[in-house]
Amino acid sequence: MTTTDHRRASADDPRVMLDEQVGVFEPIPPYPPRTEREAEFYSVGDGELLINIGPHHPATHGVMRVVMKLNGETIVDLDPVLGYLHRGVEKLCENADFHQTIAYMDPLEYVSSLFCEWPAVMAYEKLLDVEVPRRAEYIRVLTGELNRVSSHLLAMGFHALDLGGLTPILYSFIERDEIVEMLAAITGQRMLFNYFRIGGVNGDLNHEFMSRLGDWMSRATEQVEANVGLLSENEIFVRRNRDIGVMDPETAIKMCWTGPNLRASGVPFDIRRAHPYSVYPELDFDIPTRKEGDSLARYLLRIDEVKQSLRIIDQCLHQMPDGPVLAKLPRLLRPRPGRAFAAVEGPRGEYAIYAVSDGTDQPFRFRIHDPSFLHLQSFGRLVPGKLIADWMTVNASLDPIMGGIDK
Amino acid sequence: MTAVARAWGRLTLPGKVVFTLVPILAVLTASLIALIVLFGGAALDILNANLGVVRFVAAATVILVITIPIAFLNIYLEMKIIALMNLRVGPDRVGPWGTALSVVHGLKVLMKEDFTPSGADSVVFTWAPVVTYAAAVLTLVVLPFAPGLYAQDFNIGLLFFFAMGGLGVVGLLMGGWASFNKYSLLGGLRSAAQIISYEIPLTLSVVGLLILAGTMSLNTIVVQQDGWFANWYVFRQPLAFVIFFIAATAEANRTPFDLTEADSEIVAGFATEYSGMRFGFFFFAEYVNVFILSALTVVLFLGGWNAPFEIDPLLDWIGGILPGLGITTPVTIALDPGGLGLPLLFLLLLVPPLGTLLFAAPFFLLRSSMRWWVALIIGFLLFNVVAGGLVMAWAYVSFEAVAGLLWFLGKTFFFVFVFVWMRGTLPRVRIDQLMGFAWKWLLPASLLNLFVTALAVVVVGS
Amino acid sequence: MSFIPGIGIARGMALTLRRFFEPKATIRYPEQKADVPPKFRGRLQLLYDEYGTLKCETCFQCAQACPIECIDMGGLDTKGRFHVHWGASETYGERREESALRRSGRPVPDPAYTHFEGLDVGALDRILEDHDYDPARMLQILEATQAAYGHLPVAALKRISQVTGAWYATIYGTASYYAHLRFEPPADAGQAAAIAARRPTEAAYLAGLGASLGGRSAGDAPRGDA
Repeated sequence: MTTTDHRRASADDPRVMLDEQVGVFEPIPPYPPRTEREAEFYSVGDGELLINIGPHHPATHGVMRVVMKLNGETIVDLDPVLGYLHRGVEKLCENADFHQTIAYMDPLEYVSSLFCEWPAVMAYEKLLDVEVPRRAEYIRVLTGELNRVSSHLLAMGFHALDLGGLTPILYSFIERDEIVEMLAAITGQRMLFNYFRIGGVNGDLNHEFMSRLGDWMSRATEQVEANVGLLSENEIFVRRNRDIGVMDPETAIKMCWTGPNLRASGVPFDIRRAHPYSVYPELDFDIPTRKEGDSLARYLLRIDEVKQSLRIIDQCLHQMPDGPVLAKLPRLLRPRPGRAFAAVEGPRGEYAIYAVSDGTDQPFRFRIHDPSFLHLQSFGRLVPGKLIADWMTVNASLDPIMGGIDK
Repeated sequence: MTAVARAWGRLTLPGKVVFTLVPILAVLTASLIALIVLFGGAALDILNANLGVVRFVAAATVILVITIPIAFLNIYLEMKIIALMNLRVGPDRVGPWGTALSVVHGLKVLMKEDFTPSGADSVVFTWAPVVTYAAAVLTLVVLPFAPGLYAQDFNIGLLFFFAMGGLGVVGLLMGGWASFNKYSLLGGLRSAAQIISYEIPLTLSVVGLLILAGTMSLNTIVVQQDGWFANWYVFRQPLAFVIFFIAATAEANRTPFDLTEADSEIVAGFATEYSGMRFGFFFFAEYVNVFILSALTVVLFLGGWNAPFEIDPLLDWIGGILPGLGITTPVTIALDPGGLGLPLLFLLLLVPPLGTLLFAAPFFLLRSSMRWWVALIIGFLLFNVVAGGLVMAWAYVSFEAVAGLLWFLGKTFFFVFVFVWMRGTLPRVRIDQLMGFAWKWLLPASLLNLFVTALAVVVVGS
Repeated sequence: MSFIPGIGIARGMALTLRRFFEPKATIRYPEQKADVPPKFRGRLQLLYDEYGTLKCETCFQCAQACPIECIDMGGLDTKGRFHVHWGASETYGERREESALRRSGRPVPDPAYTHFEGLDVGALDRILEDHDYDPARMLQILEATQAAYGHLPVAALKRISQVTGAWYATIYGTASYYAHLRFEPPADAGQAAAIAARRPTEAAYLAGLGASLGGRSAGDAPRGDA
């Protein structure tokens, strides 16, 4: 190689002066725009700038990519790009035994796995017309509420982390670790529990779980309150969250919001009360709501929900009946042809499964409904006109989990 | 010839190195001695004639060198203190309590690939960390550490400090612009806007103090604050102190004003594309800045090297009490050390073993299960601690500079702790809140402070 | 929100300062290990009945049911003629050996074939990396493993088999051939004396054996000779 053409030298060599810029990746797609909306989005005006947040970004809660059109620091428009975590779970479930699909549910919602298993087993129980033992229902509620507390604690910690606070995430993780350890004592795993079975749960409560739970419940309330006291009254935190991402109740209902995000807008809709399932009608708890509908309301509502969950756990422990924890079922399940829909109230909203059986041992159609996906679609309403930092606030307060969104 | 080659071949690699180096070193040493003998006197004369220049060069070298341990110490403190506040243990593997971890981080940064992204303006990209670091180091020149322990005493010292401190933003802006990255660009522009906005309240808050002090020389300002802690300017300018500390936090890019490197928004801001030692220089400059701004706060408002109390009245008071307790004459030593001559050296040599035995004796006598050598080791360590403490106490009492340096570093590292404490607690503010706070609150407050001070000086003065 | 500005910040700062002095929640890993939950499912293991017989029938139902095909196994057909397998070929050899033992009708006699405790394989992985995962250097690997753990835990042998690709039976054979490799933690002196007291004939036998071998201590001989 005797060429002296400097363009042949390595582009990474800082001594080489380049005539043309290499490695410049245009954010504008090479294909002609497919819709009018896309054409409008990718026509960059004067003083505007397209910037990629993600797929690998500290504040995207997973592998999400958001293309933002900025004017200075102000967000003009934005376009969430999904699918970086798509595994085709629904199709996998349609090629699996009914029992095996429960294992596929866990990674959908990896911080609150039980709430994805729950609607699946409920749908199958409807298909099979199985009576679940009452003790199993109480255990489901007990573990589910524990999981809700751990998920909310994590959401509040990550909310603070996205705003730049380093400490609350670790305080949250200390409490979450306690819950996860006690759930591991009965389920065998710390994260992907795979605990619910068709017609009950896999294994009764054991001594280690009960001792850990009693130990934790004795100090849970004050510990949680001390931890949230670090930020919930902090002026900087309050000012960054107040009046950011305000959602009015009508739009929230139209955008199919559910869960804490909807209740923070003032709509007291909770599936545990609206469409009662399991043993929730026998339990005494409130549905906290807030009027403001902004990021701060969504943050504070999660704290209220944690307190209600602790109430439910306490009642479950006192009302827990004796008996079997798993209904007697054949190993190979062949439900009659039919269809079933089951929904539960998870920490992020309504998790629902729609399952169709054609009489074989595999579901004919299996549809997963995830609330985070529906919350994510309202970015376009909440964020434009605000600053980049407000996108992090809104994203953290909506608390999406990408495993369920991309399925 | 072959014999020499065979002998050479038998040598090991260290042997070869030694055989090569020893003659070279011998020649060099001999020539150096000859040079000193021949021209040493003349060189000394030249150095004596330009003592000011020599002093400045020496001080500048020392300042450049001490920034590195200061940065390492600050990095370690940040890691450890935030960890402890997070209920973690923090660094505890490298060195005692993990103290060597920041040094290891420095070595790691040195060994990493120094990468320049394609499309970056490589000249500006390379010089940006240098500018930032140089600005941080230059501000140290005017800081008085202790009586007589400062590089240069300008009569415009404070002005020089602010000028050089403002230069740091040029480096950040250069880095943000040259990185060819949108995150970096946003970070660079944010830092420019932020630091220019906060320079104004930072400077204006000090003007009231300057009216009182009547000078810009930091050395003189510290000297004015000696005596009891009531003389410190923080009690005469409390509002200015608060404004100054808030603005200094923003000036050092620390939480809650660390928008230039907001990791959850614009991933690391101006430093996104930097790696290796260039990133290390940015990092070092930040921690040196933390130290420098803490030190300036101490110098301006908390009396610099002055102790919070005067030790002489205290000693006089104790001297007044002693006769009442029955102690009338001070203990005098009958032995005249000067008269001993050479035996004094032997006496001094005897002190460590005797001290060791003295401190080891109680352990050996009281705990029969203890081995004699364990007792000796404990005695030796105890002797060293006590002797070191005595030497430090003697130095503290005898040398003003040592006492001043201890007080100065103690106060400064308290403020470093406060900076880290804030980082461990607070979230980050938003850019519009940041700018609004500077222009709507800090600037009027500092103007008010200036007004009130000037009014008070005029009223009291007339 | 209180009316005093900055009171929330001050309360947060007070909380972090209080936590600064509180005991820490960290589990300091190599010295201190987290408990494995009683129903831990992170490790697959074949079960044995109370006689030490392998319960696995090599029916492949578990391998077929495994949704992500992480189970692999092998075995002989009922006449012992053909070996059939499920899963990747480099990993089924181990269980074929165990299964073959079971199908021969004899209880599995090895002390190693018991429920084994969890093992921190960090040190083992370092040893394996140092030896380049080379099955030809098995003896060195086993010696280093014994130096690291004090004995040869079953989990370590299985790990070595899995990583180097050598059959478990081969590794077991190597380990049982050399007398200085042991499968159990070394007993302390009192325990050894108690064992010797319970089996007086063994000591006499070993002494006689040593005499017959011409002064060489029986303990030094490879176990295969004895």
